[in-house]
This record gives sequence, structure tokens and C-alpha cells, in this order.
Amino acid sequence: MSIVWSKRKGLSTRSRATRIGALPLTSMIDVVFLLLIFFLVTSNFAQQERELPSALQTEGGGVRASDLQPQIVEIRLLDGSPVFVMGERAVRTRADLQSLLSQLPKDPGVAVKSDSDVPISAVAAALQAARDAGFAKRSYVPQNAP
Amino acid sequence: MIRRSRTSRHMLALDLTPMIDVVFQLIIFFMFTSHFGQMMRTEIDLPREKGDEREVQQQPAMIIDIQRDGKYFVESRETGLNEIERLARNGIAASKGGGPRFDVLLRPDQTAPASDLDRVLARLSAIGVVDWKIGTIVPNGSDR
Repeated sequence: MSIVWSKRKGLSTRSRATRIGALPLTSMIDVVFLLLIFFLVTSNFAQQERELPSALQTEGGGVRASDLQPQIVEIRLLDGSPVFVMGERAVRTRADLQSLLSQLPKDPGVAVKSDSDVPISAVAAALQAARDAGFAKRSYVPQNAP
Repeated sequence: MIRRSRTSRHMLALDLTPMIDVVFQLIIFFMFTSHFGQMMRTEIDLPREKGDEREVQQQPAMIIDIQRDGKYFVESRETGLNEIERLARNGIAASKGGGPRFDVLLRPDQTAPASDLDRVLARLSAIGVVDWKIGTIVPNGSDR
């Protein structure tokens, strides 16, 4: 394409379009794609962290007589794997615990306590099950570990 | 006429490269600083739970990491229980002066025994900490 120049009109519209079209975009597109790939890859590596809120409750303390006693989930280790015990019922999986908890009244809340050798993943599972079952009042009762 | 055509030619030859450079530098700066708080947290094998699904969560007053071997870390520095208690006391005192309620985020290794969790929580509970959160990692293939 040729640049049309006339003494009367100066640069013509045609020549202006030609100049804009010649803007070197290649390097910018290269950089944009590199950044795009970089952020796609890094976002896959970074795992999403979340938080599971709960309250703290001392054993036998902090509860007034007028308060409703919370239902207690005890986590014990049986044959090397954690078991969730509620009264006389014992379940092994988080899904079973959730369905068990969802049948209970929500107002009194739920308290979780665990044996010292239980992995923390089981504590988190119990708190998650309580949350998913609809308990707004969730507390954890730490044992007096040595 | 000649002067006008020269000006328009100058406008067309505007070099965008430094502007694009600056824009990208700003994008990278803001992306890094916005995730800085999370990057400061040490890598730890957290329990695989979907956690609380609320997107906006309040930044906890104190973050304690619990390693597999039972060591506690506060701000990437190994910290004993007495020091944790002292820091928490200071945090509670600061929150009584009109600040937000003091809460603790525990980031435990999922395979660590519950006794490591109990040891620190019993100490915190004894000095009046009520709210705590457990850090989790959203499992792959989770709906949320």
C-alpha cells in the first residue's frame, strides 16, 4: 500500500488507516499469551484454602444451667481408623456421621471431642459433618493432653 | 496545512510499548500483593475438607501452624506453647480495646495426632480464647 500525499489535503484517510494497521502488535500478543499461560499454570498449582470456624469449650465448664447441653461426638481410634461415636451409635464415615447429625435437633449445638491419638483429619471431618448437617453452634472440647 | 499533517503523523507513531510495560508491571504487582498474606503461610498438608463456603472470611488475629512432628509455628517461626500463650494474651488485650474479637486459625498437618491440637487449644481456652478456625484445603473434584 502506498501513502498518498497531496499538497492540498495533506495525509489522506487511506494513508492514515495504513499507518494504524502497521502498529506492531506481535510482541504484545506474545507477552499476553505468556502471561495467560503463566497464570493458568500457577492457579492450578495453588490449592484453595478454606477455614472451618468453631468455638472452644472447656470440659465441664462454661455452660450455664439454663443452657441446653450440646450433643457430643466422640472420636475414637478403633483398629487404626477413626470412629465417630454418638451415645450408643458409632459410624465410620463422615457421610454417615452427617446423616446421623442431620436427624438431631440443631438448637443445642454439637460438641466434638477426640482421643489423643486420633488424626486431626478426623476432627476436621467431624466439624465439617456438623456444619453440613446444619449445626450453627459447633464447639470443640480439647482434652488435657500431657 | 503542512504543520497539521505533521502533528497527525506524530500521533499515529505513538509508541505504546512503555505504557504496556507499566500496565503489566502494575498487574503483576497487584496480583502478588493481593495474595501475599496467603503466600506467607507455609506449605502444610491440611485436612481435605471443603470448609466454610463463605467467600469473604475475616482475617484471623493469629495463625498457628502445626507440623506433623508436633512443632508449632507462628509466622513461619517455631514457637513454644508459652510464647503462643503470651502472643494470644497480647492479642486479647488489644481486642478488648475496641478491636475485633480475637480468633485463632490453626493450620494443622492432617496426619498429626489430635493431642497436638488439644495441647494448644487447651492453653488458648484457659486464657479466654473462644473462637478458633481450622484450616482446610478444598479436595480436588469437590463441588465447591
